[in-house]
Amino acid sequence: MVQANEIESIGFKWGKKRGIGGKKKDVQFYESFTYDDVEYALYDSVYIYADGETEPYIGKLIKIWENSDKTKKVKILWFFRPCEISNFLEADKAVENELFLASGEGVGLANVNPLEPIAGKCNVVCISKDSRNPQPSYEEIEMADFIFYRTFDVGHRVITDKIDDKIAGIDVRFLLNSVSIQKPSAVPKPDSNDKEIIGNAVVAGVVDKNVSGKPLKLDDSSTDASTKENSVSRENKAAIMTSVKQKSGLGKKPDSYTNSRSDNEEIAHLKTALVKQKSSLGEKHASKSGVELAEMAKITKWESMSNDKITSRSKDNVSSESKASSIPAIEIHAEKKGKATKDSVRSSDRPSKLANFDDSVKASVNGRNTLQKLNLDSGGSDAKALDRTTTASDDKSKRKLTKNPSWTENISLKKTKLDEKLTKHAIGQLLEASPREASNSVSKTTDQKVEVTRRPEADKSKWFKMPPWEERMQNAHAEGRLVLLQNLDPSYTSAEVEDIVWHAFKENCTAKMIQRTAFSSPHSGQAFVIFKTSEAAEIAVEKLDESCLMLSNGRPLVGSIATLSFPGKPSTFFGHIYIDKLRLQMQREMKEAVSTSHCSQPNTIEYDMAMDWCLLQERTDLEWKHLYKQQGQELRKLKANLKSK
Amino acid sequence: MESTAEAKYAAFEEKVERTIFVDNLSPQVTEPVLKKALDQFGTVVSVSFIPNYLETLSIPSCALVEMENSEKAKKVISSITQFPFMMAGMPRPVRARLAEAEMFDDRPVKPGRKIHCHWLDPSDPDFEVAKKLKLVTRKHATEASFLLKQQLDREEKLHKQQAETLKANFKKYEMIVGVLGDKTAQNLAGHYGMRVSDDS
Repeated sequence: MVQANEIESIGFKWGKKRGIGGKKKDVQFYESFTYDDVEYALYDSVYIYADGETEPYIGKLIKIWENSDKTKKVKILWFFRPCEISNFLEADKAVENELFLASGEGVGLANVNPLEPIAGKCNVVCISKDSRNPQPSYEEIEMADFIFYRTFDVGHRVITDKIDDKIAGIDVRFLLNSVSIQKPSAVPKPDSNDKEIIGNAVVAGVVDKNVSGKPLKLDDSSTDASTKENSVSRENKAAIMTSVKQKSGLGKKPDSYTNSRSDNEEIAHLKTALVKQKSSLGEKHASKSGVELAEMAKITKWESMSNDKITSRSKDNVSSESKASSIPAIEIHAEKKGKATKDSVRSSDRPSKLANFDDSVKASVNGRNTLQKLNLDSGGSDAKALDRTTTASDDKSKRKLTKNPSWTENISLKKTKLDEKLTKHAIGQLLEASPREASNSVSKTTDQKVEVTRRPEADKSKWFKMPPWEERMQNAHAEGRLVLLQNLDPSYTSAEVEDIVWHAFKENCTAKMIQRTAFSSPHSGQAFVIFKTSEAAEIAVEKLDESCLMLSNGRPLVGSIATLSFPGKPSTFFGHIYIDKLRLQMQREMKEAVSTSHCSQPNTIEYDMAMDWCLLQERTDLEWKHLYKQQGQELRKLKANLKSK
Repeated sequence: MESTAEAKYAAFEEKVERTIFVDNLSPQVTEPVLKKALDQFGTVVSVSFIPNYLETLSIPSCALVEMENSEKAKKVISSITQFPFMMAGMPRPVRARLAEAEMFDDRPVKPGRKIHCHWLDPSDPDFEVAKKLKLVTRKHATEASFLLKQQLDREEKLHKQQAETLKANFKKYEMIVGVLGDKTAQNLAGHYGMRVSDDS
């Protein structure tokens, strides 16, 4: 993702002109433009950087123009993330990378924005089965940053999988998958080079066709100068895919050298290899001549470099993560080189691409937590791959052995050098990195005191008015999603309760503090919390019950599935007495005059009775006061036993 | 950001000061009724009822009434406290007191407050205490709802008792009117040689 401060210094160029419009014919419309070396065209999906938002907005460019005062504008039709419209999703589950296209009419459909906050292209693929939608291929869906098939009507606030003919005045065919989107992702004709990789993959026995297809696509897009800036994030995704699959493949290779080696070590080893390979790539890029064997020697040398380097490397969590993802790609490359010495020109071309690709991974790593997650997941598959021994990979490594004996030698040498502690250390850091990234600031370790801050998704849906609380609460109650929290500080606000729930359970919810009345306890504040699902509600209640969530001032939170007294007018009210015979007449009077309210005069029976009520009131007030005083003392006594405050 | 939050909170605190909390309201009291009733003491800016979601029993409703300023609010409270004030029914008077910040639904976050939360480890010495605290919290809630029930029972009792008294009173007056109406009283007065004083 492009940082905001970089934007200023980045090159900008208009593309194809479209037409002139505006009142004075001074507005120039365009079909495309180049910004930050990325070419954007009409109907492209883009990330929009927004101040104070952790995640960028996503939208489609539906109009591009320059005003007479040289301000560049784009009109953007928005996509909604599931979390932005979660209140309307209710029971529907959204896929992790699902988006919803805005439709209908109303606030939130489309906006005119300045062009500058555009932060990059976004690969959004429509998987709607709609006949107007050119169906995407499997690879395209795999590669997409986001997918969509449903729309969100901003006017009626409903989610539907039907897509209108026109959205924001734009023919829907432009908004679904376009032919131009499909083109670059079409599988390229395999040339000799490509075949080689596929061949390699087959030998490795793990990399399936899809995956091997992906690096090809990458190459394709980066060789072509005009489509070089084929979205950064797309390259990412491909990188992730390859990294996941390839890693498991790599797990096999060392297998042929040694059985005892853990895949943890493997990762650490890959890292060292990577650190050095990176610089080697730079060299390669510069020289543009492929002397494979020499290179191999270089790699092996680096691999056996001192352990210190590994630790220093692993300290740098984020960057090491991003690099980890690029390892496999480089490994492929290395393998290929080992075999294909003849194809020197082409293979030397490749490093430059890989270098590019590596950069892009690094650039985007901040915004993409999934990357780290996927990398971690691959650890599991490593282990599996390690268990298996295939003759194919054996063969391959043997071949390698003959070709480049020094390499294998060095690896085994290094293997022995790596001591347990070091690898553990590296892995620990590696594992740590991703949760830290994913949860933004909070990790759920038990004894860590966490300050409750605004949760990241808060206030996302400010565009839309919620249905009234009572309606939501009753629905939630009927579905078992309503939880009553007790022992909150009575002065907490509903928003603060929502934040507490977010930090404690990683669940988004809507909460409402119960307003204090004359009988409310001054010690324990209560709140209703609506969870998204009844499962989440049950889990939260159970967790609160079994363990203790301590809030400030030594308040352990108490939760229970709420039983609701349906609000509405209570039927009975004691203290207003009517004489039946006169009641009819009374009611008529009530209708005619709203105000029958008055102060009682001391010479009436009414006054006497009112005094009785006042007496009773005083008495109960005293009782309440006494009760709460007693409860306060009880609590204070208990809290004195708390070790930590 | 900080300063606006503080300004917002200060504005809210002012609002709290000019708002009164009225309870013991009959369910028949609606916003216009309440507004009209209190308009005689000062201009009512807004009325909002506090809903009761929690108690399964039907407790009297209560509301927040925002007056134009805090002096007016105090005046309303003193008037209502001095004389039993009837609203939409008799003889139970309504009650008014100053509102508190926690009574408001839409209160802003108090600026500068930090909330901490953490899961206690079962081995933590505080764990047992926290467990006890949780139990006590539940116990207290039960106690409170018990007291509320008691209170309502007593209110019902008083209500019934007063209804009896009123009925008896009404019967008495009805009888008197009856006897006077059908000349029985005059006949009896003549019989005993008493003077019925009302007509001269």
